[in-house]
Amino acid sequence: MSIEPITGRYVTVTIEGAPHRIYFEEAGQGRPVICLHTAGADTRQWRHLMNDAEITTSNRLVAFDMPWHGKSLPPEGFETQEYLLTTEAYIETVLAVIDGLGLNRPVLAGCSMGGRIALQLAALHPEKFSGFIAIEASDFQPAWYDIDWFHRPDAHGGEMGAALVSANISPYAPDAERWNTLWMFMQSGPGVFRGDLSFYTKDDSLIPRLPTIDTKQTPVHIIVGAYDLTCTPEDAERTAKAIPGATLAVMDELGHFPMSEHPEGFRPFFAEALEKMPPVPAKAA
Amino acid sequence: MPPKRTHMNVWGAKVIDNFTQIQTRLEAMPHLLRLGRLFSETVLIEIDGQEIYLTFENGRIVSVVEGPSRKTPWRFALRTDSEALRKFWQARPEPGFHDVFGLVKIGRGRIDGDILSLVKNLRFFKEVLGLARAREEVAA
Repeated sequence: MSIEPITGRYVTVTIEGAPHRIYFEEAGQGRPVICLHTAGADTRQWRHLMNDAEITTSNRLVAFDMPWHGKSLPPEGFETQEYLLTTEAYIETVLAVIDGLGLNRPVLAGCSMGGRIALQLAALHPEKFSGFIAIEASDFQPAWYDIDWFHRPDAHGGEMGAALVSANISPYAPDAERWNTLWMFMQSGPGVFRGDLSFYTKDDSLIPRLPTIDTKQTPVHIIVGAYDLTCTPEDAERTAKAIPGATLAVMDELGHFPMSEHPEGFRPFFAEALEKMPPVPAKAA
Repeated sequence: MPPKRTHMNVWGAKVIDNFTQIQTRLEAMPHLLRLGRLFSETVLIEIDGQEIYLTFENGRIVSVVEGPSRKTPWRFALRTDSEALRKFWQARPEPGFHDVFGLVKIGRGRIDGDILSLVKNLRFFKEVLGLARAREEVAA
């Protein structure tokens, strides 16, 4: 028998004027690191790092399920709403959760759409964070698929979504973790993956903001997998070049969900990223 | 008219064998036969301009027929080149060659016809096409 050190609780925060019951998990102590999952998934993507004693001995990893995802419920009245994530709502959600949990200038680590919003927050709300680890993150990508495929009455959006995103998983990923990663997409609520992709593939507001990011105050480190078809190494490199002082690491044998699809392969890249972040949170500005 | 092989190299001439191998291996994959139980369509695979028609019935491949044909209706088509397919079938393909949509994204493949039919059966189709992938290195 083994009981993992990860603990899960709920916090209710107000987003867009409505209460949202948010599920979050945490493990470790020391420097706070808030971890954001990808589109169509949930906090389980971070479970390997949260179970990594060498990481958690000096880092308090906190991950939460976005509203509509995982164990966070959608808001009251969702049954008549069309879920379409926006940059504004995403930013409000992240800030509400770190305030609700009382986190003092955490490092923000986000993957895919979480990496995109990490860079938005680096540009717009740097005073709330001590640094940014943007994984599979770039300025903007239009969809190379039709996002409406994933929410229709005659087919299972989760199964189709999983089959699509499998294109972004490296052939080096262990089979068990490949399928654990895909399972989250298969479980995703109806229309949720589509609503995340709407944000990810249609909002290009980050592009002009990238040069305004001050990496002297808050370092930005971008990590990208060579097997990521959605955010390619070229996309990440272009993005890093647009941010003065940003650093970039390319992972030759990983894809779009590195912390989940291939934990062992990702670990050294995440440890390197943490090394680049300020060791202890400075006083809030 | 005999099949045109003007663009196919030695490896390309063996492609048809890979698809009959896929047909055989599929019979030994119960989970794929279950996933594909509602899939009864003809799929055109075009490699270097050479046509191969795969006809599925309830998840089984019932025929592998070389073209060209002007009278065989197909639901969707995957058009690619023999070198791209050779890389696709390696145990650990290089980035882009590791997935059907990867081939499309890097400009080495094109999907025509009823794409939604493909997407609805995407896991099934990808795993069927992957049955010709080299297996000896995969377990490493």
